[in-house]
Amino acid sequence: MIDAAANENAVFRALADPTRRAVFERLAEGETTVGELTSRFDVSQPAISQHVAVLRRAGLVQERREGRYVHYRVKPAGLRPLMDWIEHYQAFWLDRLSRLKAVLEQLDGEEEGR
Amino acid sequence: MSPEGKADRHTLVVDYELPAAPEKVWRALTESDLLSRWLMPNDMRAEVGHAFTFRLEPAPDPGNGWDGVVHCEVLEVEPGRRLRYTWRSDSTEAATRLDTVVTWTLKALDDGGTRLRLEQSGFRPENGRAYAGVEAGWRGWLAQRLREVVEGL
Repeated sequence: MIDAAANENAVFRALADPTRRAVFERLAEGETTVGELTSRFDVSQPAISQHVAVLRRAGLVQERREGRYVHYRVKPAGLRPLMDWIEHYQAFWLDRLSRLKAVLEQLDGEEEGR
Repeated sequence: MSPEGKADRHTLVVDYELPAAPEKVWRALTESDLLSRWLMPNDMRAEVGHAFTFRLEPAPDPGNGWDGVVHCEVLEVEPGRRLRYTWRSDSTEAATRLDTVVTWTLKALDDGGTRLRLEQSGFRPENGRAYAGVEAGWRGWLAQRLREVVEGL
């Protein structure tokens, strides 16, 4: 089993660095490459690569290879270890209630069809 | 009620308006097949004392420590108005181990719809996170970011 506490620490450590946090925020806006990130931040390409590698190891970022380019984007599930479970439940119920609304609408249709 | 008292217990409240009459919403809350279409597969029966389960499909990430099964027992049935059952989960992680009670309250609206209130009570402090050792600024950033990311899932 995954050690949730160790995983959580890795996520905290990865995001504790302000530059890495800025890189993560940029990736949360959409997929990008190390080259694009380097042009945006006042940091060398190897340093950016290093930051992305730390985020990847923490499970916060995933990659997609396309020819000789590697595109990076945020892996939302990576933030789960940090989630407040009460908030998690709120999000869960809101999602389910929107499904309930759809089911009630379908029920109207099914019963009119009878 | 739990022996350690309720002072440190947290209740989650969600209000939701639905464009359907309370009778219809009640069916969606209590008929097993309808309930499984929006919540989770289950063997619910709206009878006080009936023990049943919800099973999350697909099962959750093993990192959560939770096996995806919710253990329930019906506590109160007031047709068309109120339904209450326990909502418990076993987990190897304290954060996802729950011993809560879910209460559904239905109220007819003037437009023919229903205001449905969900209350889930009995969350323990360890079900929430203190974000200990994290400076306030980035804790705020994290909370905000989490909300956005989770909403986009």
